[in-house]
Amino acid sequence: MRRMILRAGTAIACLALVSAPLVFAFDFQKIEKTVSEHTLANGLKIIVMERHEAPVASFVTYVDVGGVDDPKEYTGLAHMFEHMAFKGTRQVGTQDIDTELQLMKVEDSIFYELRAERKKGAQADSTRLAALQKAFDEAIEAANRVVVPNEFDNILERHGAVNLNAGTGMDQTSYIMSLPSNKLELWMAMESARFNQPVLREMYREREVIAEERRQTLENNPIGRAIDVLKSTAFTAHPYGISIVGHMSDIKNYTRDAAKAFFEKYYVPSNMIIAICGDVYPDEVFRLAEQYWGGMPAKPNPEPVATVEPEQQGERRVILEDPAQPFFAAAWHVPEYTHPDWPAVQALMDYLGQGRTSLLYTNLVKEKKIAAEVFAFAGYPASKYPTLALVGVIPAADHSNEECESEVYVEVERLQNELLPAEDVAEIKARAKADFINGLTSNLGMASQLASAQNDWGDWRALFKELGRINGVTPEDIQRVAKKYFTKNNRTVVCLNTVQS
Amino acid sequence: MKKWTTLLCLWWLAALALPAAAQDVESITFPPLNPLEIPKVEKIQLDNGLRLYLLTDKSLPLFNVNVRLAAGSYLEPGDQAGLAEITGTVMRTGGTRTWTGDQIDELLEGIGGMVETNFGDVEGGAFVNVLSDYADTGLLVLAEVLRYPRFDQDKIDLAMVQARTNIARRNDEVSEIALREFRKLIYGAESPYARTMEYATLDKVTRDDLVAFHDRYVRPENIQMAIYGDFDKNKVLARVKKLFGDWKKGTAAVPPPPVVDYQWRKQVYYAEKKGAKQSYIRMGHLGGMLKDPDYADKIVMNSILGLGFGSRLTDEVRTRLGLAYSAGGRYVSNAAYPGYFFALASTDPGNTVKACRAMIEQIRSMQTVPPTDMEMKKGKDGYLNSFVFNFDSRREVIGRIMSYDFYGLPEDFLQREKTRVEQTTKDDVVAAAKRSLHPDSMVILVVGDKEKFDLPLDSLGWGPIEAVDISIPAPQQADQEELVVNDANIAKGMEILGKAIAAHGGTEAFAGVTSVVSTRSIKLVMGGQELPATVNSWEVIPDKEKSEISIMGQKIISLRVGQQGWRTDQTGQMVPLSADEVAEGEKERLRETIRVFQAYGNPYYKAVYNGRGELGGTPVEWVAILDASGEQLARFGFDAGSHTLAAKMYFDQTMMGEGMVTEKYSNLQPKGKITLPTVTVTELNGQKIMEENISVFDVNTAIAAEVFAPPQ
Repeated sequence: MRRMILRAGTAIACLALVSAPLVFAFDFQKIEKTVSEHTLANGLKIIVMERHEAPVASFVTYVDVGGVDDPKEYTGLAHMFEHMAFKGTRQVGTQDIDTELQLMKVEDSIFYELRAERKKGAQADSTRLAALQKAFDEAIEAANRVVVPNEFDNILERHGAVNLNAGTGMDQTSYIMSLPSNKLELWMAMESARFNQPVLREMYREREVIAEERRQTLENNPIGRAIDVLKSTAFTAHPYGISIVGHMSDIKNYTRDAAKAFFEKYYVPSNMIIAICGDVYPDEVFRLAEQYWGGMPAKPNPEPVATVEPEQQGERRVILEDPAQPFFAAAWHVPEYTHPDWPAVQALMDYLGQGRTSLLYTNLVKEKKIAAEVFAFAGYPASKYPTLALVGVIPAADHSNEECESEVYVEVERLQNELLPAEDVAEIKARAKADFINGLTSNLGMASQLASAQNDWGDWRALFKELGRINGVTPEDIQRVAKKYFTKNNRTVVCLNTVQS
Repeated sequence: MKKWTTLLCLWWLAALALPAAAQDVESITFPPLNPLEIPKVEKIQLDNGLRLYLLTDKSLPLFNVNVRLAAGSYLEPGDQAGLAEITGTVMRTGGTRTWTGDQIDELLEGIGGMVETNFGDVEGGAFVNVLSDYADTGLLVLAEVLRYPRFDQDKIDLAMVQARTNIARRNDEVSEIALREFRKLIYGAESPYARTMEYATLDKVTRDDLVAFHDRYVRPENIQMAIYGDFDKNKVLARVKKLFGDWKKGTAAVPPPPVVDYQWRKQVYYAEKKGAKQSYIRMGHLGGMLKDPDYADKIVMNSILGLGFGSRLTDEVRTRLGLAYSAGGRYVSNAAYPGYFFALASTDPGNTVKACRAMIEQIRSMQTVPPTDMEMKKGKDGYLNSFVFNFDSRREVIGRIMSYDFYGLPEDFLQREKTRVEQTTKDDVVAAAKRSLHPDSMVILVVGDKEKFDLPLDSLGWGPIEAVDISIPAPQQADQEELVVNDANIAKGMEILGKAIAAHGGTEAFAGVTSVVSTRSIKLVMGGQELPATVNSWEVIPDKEKSEISIMGQKIISLRVGQQGWRTDQTGQMVPLSADEVAEGEKERLRETIRVFQAYGNPYYKAVYNGRGELGGTPVEWVAILDASGEQLARFGFDAGSHTLAAKMYFDQTMMGEGMVTEKYSNLQPKGKITLPTVTVTELNGQKIMEENISVFDVNTAIAAEVFAPPQ
């Protein structure tokens, strides 16, 4: 029962119901038997999980590249490339590739001149700028006339693809889709082609789309902005502090050459994992993979980010003033996912702020009614590198960030000063188990999890060892990590305060 | 092996595994699709009308229940908007006969399980998700929550706090504003399909209302319960019968959801959000029903018009023009009430009108430009080839069966539509577009900051532009504050009134007022129309007054001298006032501002402080003016900062009806030694009924005796 003070009545009433003892282990052997793997000579890894209940399959192409790998002058480039990956190839997306490539070269050369003139700032020649801009727009129109827009998507969707999408995180980029299972070879052909010889067409227009995406998801969204600034304040050295979508000025400066160089460096077979879950058979998958992906040349594996965020010396605070309603968030530096302390940090965040019986919900929402919502989780913005544990509070109407902030620290201190009862820790594990099993239901979910386990641990089987990591957490572990990481000096705070303009 | 040998081997291997030369997917032959086994759902109805749907799946140890409740917020009275939603929340959080809400939270979170309840606009739901070991617990908690919720006040209070917080936040995100306001334009601001809960409506919701809503509508005959996952059918059926079998049917039939009365019009609506980084555009009109005969044609039409890449809206507005990240649209057909057709885009404010034009053009093109072969492939093949995905999730399958059952759709509704889609032709798509899309009768909503637009919205030439007021009606604190007549409040009331008089010229200045002659131009708002009129008045304090209203070519006169009075009747004759009318007139006079200010300190009046409130963002202090008998003549609202008169409220009978009248004042002007507002906006029960502008206001001028001469 999740209050430190046991309430006997509750304990008896509830235990009477829960006749089955809490069991944390889950027999993964049955599931593990459905998974096969194969590595091509060029380093590309393929994982297949069989599920034959319905004639469908989900596909994930997982690339170990993300926002952290953005070049310094082109933040958001990893995300830009993700958009570019849907623009097709030499065959798909064009009416005449040779003409198109020439027209693209014209676009590029005009853009370089335009950009050079812009960089002169106040010294720029405004007539020349106007002329270049006009020529640029015309070149874009000319090139686009030879394009067959969105043909890559159309082909797949015509054949029954659903959930065709991609996502760029700070650590990784995933390309996903589900298809009727008889279209396996279609996926092989299309996916391998676009990562073997993508054509970065319509790039200059797509930058504008990305600018709109930035406005929509970040700039026009008060809480999104607050969390973004929290992140960039917490990280002074490590690139986790950068926005995935990139700075607006960088977006407007992307060149095709930069995107191409990025692709060539990171989209190499040894840096990619394919995971397929559904009504497919491993032999056939691996045969087709050899046929379609085998020719992708092996290249050196790119280096991970070496910068280590230096230890934070003191609390950092950001105050934002906005007409929007108040919002408060605090973040503490915590280690990366593969660190031995990680499971204890996860357990702590569950107990602190996830669910109606968590410390924060009980105290701030139920008892004091100073907050309407609370959330807590570890691993923001990602977790391959040392990262953040985040607590957020939406104050109740007529209540303030200050009130909520001080109560958050009261609960954090409780975790530092008191050991959790063993049964509360057992319940954390029960929740972890239920969450985990629920996460196994969808093909797409499974494929994603297999790919990321393979990437993070070098072995997809690590996915099924996750519960084991959590099951090893003790009350002492939770107290220890509370004391070690959740200190004042280690935290960064953002307050979105309401100020009418 | 030596390095160069290894390299040679690798090269040789690589050379073997050449990439498929021009990846020409059209040349690939695909095997036929493996047969799709649509999971079989067992249907059982209990004697009390509760309908069960059972579907086992032993692949993972999970137990799920999905309950559909045939009741929603459409059943709540409009002035209690939020009642159903709060009931839905507190059914689960407020405890049951056996446990408090906190105990249920601890029970469920202790086993990693979940039980939740809610009400939407036309239906409600309850969900259970537990590991299959705890199926019994899950069902027990579900039964308790559905049958015996106890609605603890503490949890009602919490739900209210959360609901109020959501109200306060509802304008923080442009997308939320656009979605909400667009629904209002389609269904009507007061419609249960669009109305918003407000502080005032929540204030009217009591615990008794929640209990009554639950008791009336959460009945077995209104419940469909789907159980799917890892369970033994016989055991679970027995358990369900034990927990729900003795639940008695209700007595009240549930009225069906109301029909939609859509006002077709071509109009632009602008909702201002200052500083918005994007404009959010939504345009469209009323949509259709699932049962409409051309539903299949619309499936193809939607795919071509606005669903994702390859659709006209996305390809043009996003990809070709680069104007938006989100751009699309579709014609929505619903089961319970008509959906709506919409196209949306969110774009840089400097592209607002450009984006609107591009969207309108693409919508029009659906009627004039037939689909290309490629578009038909997208629309038809895409649907047909992905059809299998309608059945890959048990949760989706069983939810759909419940819904079709309720709405009287055949279980194979989707399969029938699939057959129709197979037969859909280009002509069918154009015909459906002509029949169901009305690009020249759309409402266009733009949420954003017009100062940053590329062009003003009227350059669209889309009819009148109406500003949408999205300001959140303030909590009516003062209204709720009871008038407490005690010494402290009287003292405070007098103090505030004294400051107000000083702010308007001072007691001496008001004492010196003996007569007033004024001319006002007014606008009466009646039945959506605005009627102009002019009013000339003469007044000799204390008991002579005359007013002449010139309206629609007529003159209406009212005259009072002492206890006698006359007015113009419908025939144009002057007839005497009845005793009631004289008394009413007296009351009216007593609440006049000049009179009240002049009477400061007069024991006839009491000025009683009645709390703080807010008027259009300005804090006001309310002072109730009571007559000698203690009856409230009016509440005066004074600006808390400047102490000037901001508003007056009183209960009255007007020609528009009876109710709470609010006069809101502005544009203070000096008239000799006194300062008074020259603009008054009058509301009845919150609706504007009149606007007045004083053009002439003469104090203490001589008035000829003939003015007050009685009629012959």
